[in-house]
Amino acid sequence: MAKAGRTRAPLQFADLLRIVFLGGFVIFVLIPLYWMVMTSVKPTSDYLTVPPVWFPAEPTFVHYTAALFSYRGLDGLINSLIVSTAATFLSAVLGTLMAYSLARFNTGGQHLAFWVLSQRFLPPVAIILPIFLLFRTWHIYDTRGGLILLYTFMTLPLSVWMMYAYFRQLPKSLEEAALVDGLSRWQAFWMVAVPLAAPGIVAAAVFSFIACWTEFFFALILTSRYAFTLPTVFRAFLSFQGAQYGEACALATTSLVPSIILGMLVQRHLVRGLTLGALRG
Amino acid sequence: MAQNIGPNIATSSMAPALKARPESAFSAWVDRHFKWLLVAPAAVLILALSVYPLLFSMWVNFVNYDFEIPGHDFVGLKNFTDVIGDPVARGALYLTVILSIINVAIEFVLGLALALCMVKMFRGRGIIMSILIVPLFICPVIVGQSWALFLERPFGPADYVLSEILGHPVTVSWLTEAPWYYVSIIIADVWQWTPFMFVILLAGLAAIPPHLYEAAELDGVSTVQAFFYVTLPQLAPIILLAITFRLLDAVRLFDVIFMMTGGGPGTATYTFSYYLYQVGFQQFHLSVATAGSWIFLILLSIVITVLVRRLLRAEKA
Repeated sequence: MAKAGRTRAPLQFADLLRIVFLGGFVIFVLIPLYWMVMTSVKPTSDYLTVPPVWFPAEPTFVHYTAALFSYRGLDGLINSLIVSTAATFLSAVLGTLMAYSLARFNTGGQHLAFWVLSQRFLPPVAIILPIFLLFRTWHIYDTRGGLILLYTFMTLPLSVWMMYAYFRQLPKSLEEAALVDGLSRWQAFWMVAVPLAAPGIVAAAVFSFIACWTEFFFALILTSRYAFTLPTVFRAFLSFQGAQYGEACALATTSLVPSIILGMLVQRHLVRGLTLGALRG
Repeated sequence: MAQNIGPNIATSSMAPALKARPESAFSAWVDRHFKWLLVAPAAVLILALSVYPLLFSMWVNFVNYDFEIPGHDFVGLKNFTDVIGDPVARGALYLTVILSIINVAIEFVLGLALALCMVKMFRGRGIIMSILIVPLFICPVIVGQSWALFLERPFGPADYVLSEILGHPVTVSWLTEAPWYYVSIIIADVWQWTPFMFVILLAGLAAIPPHLYEAAELDGVSTVQAFFYVTLPQLAPIILLAITFRLLDAVRLFDVIFMMTGGGPGTATYTFSYYLYQVGFQQFHLSVATAGSWIFLILLSIVITVLVRRLLRAEKA
């Protein structure tokens, strides 16, 4: 652990081991992604050659247009954008409101906070059946609105707990000063606390967005012809094994670009996002 | 607003006068119930989409709710006995438990090894860090899809690459041949979630105070001993946290199964989530699937109780 000096030879061996392991893992991470991106621009004639074509001589974008238009990928993309954005916004608003109350007034003691957290560990399959039946009776089955509501609920534990941890770090004194100053509690929250917490809200929102963007199970069951999201479009490539490799890969590439970019933007907050604020990175 | 705060604190005797404006009847009411008003919208949503469905499903558990058989007659415990008596359900439950344990164990070991490699600064660390966390932002459906494409013959290059490395032809059907379909599923899960362990454990490692290692070095402790007597005990609460979070997600395994094997061949790769999906949404035995999901929930809540209790105890210590 300490700096090199005493024993050079074993340390060099350890360094070599480290480089090999890290290098190996980086290749492991990149190889399926590389194969996917390359397949998305490969002409169909390159699919089954031996040895495999690692880099197509004549890249083509026909699969992208086919995936987006023939397989309704564009509709899925638009639905995904609308649903994820709306759910993220709602979740950030509702989550921030609740987190502020929990952090500042200890509302409901520990019970309320843990009740919200427990929703995070509720397996989707445990509630999907009744939700499916309820969505049908409420006439929000296969609507974006229904999915937005569900995704808002799904990301609430994340929003609430990340913001809860964030608000508890912020000093109370500024809001107290504002109250003394004659501001209402709402004004102290809205004009003092929220601007201070803005970086945390943005980070939490990005994680919510990624969670909605990559969600599959709820969308699979609660949508069909109209409100289907991007991940569910991949079903179309399951039934016809064989010819649509390029289209599937083109759609996958389209889908992962935004979530990877967003993920990189909040890299600093990653530990917080993954542990719902339990750990500070 | 900010510029008003300073001067007015000095003359805070002015504050009551400011508050007592006539239009503040509503705002006084808001102030009085403020903490509950903030909590209300989120609480209502959780009540509507989690508590209400769970209560509703309590009723569905004990009646007939099936798209093939009309009516909602009371059937007692039949839904539960249907699930318990179904060998496919038991197989799916075992597979879920075994796969979850294997996946989480491999992810933990690899994640810890990566974290140990990355804890020191070195040139290129930033870019490697960015690459390692990429899988966390990818839709599990796409992970399943791209590994299926990479592995499966004749399209995927995996067999060709292995043949070249091993020097003899490899013809494994990764998604249809036992036991390789399990291996494929594990590869996909490990690929996606090792970074999760890595990121959390790295944060834990970075938080270990360096003076502990300095003290260990003064005592003449070797690197290996320092790992077992300093690193692991210091890291224990974080390890527990990472494993708890990961395990509770691992048991839900569905997307990758859906994309890679479709539960097949036969029912060989049914996880419990996939089994419930099949029963509920392909065969439309809704009440049987609901009973199954309650069994799952009860088993899971036992695990959660044990793990979370440990976690809270570890955090207090």
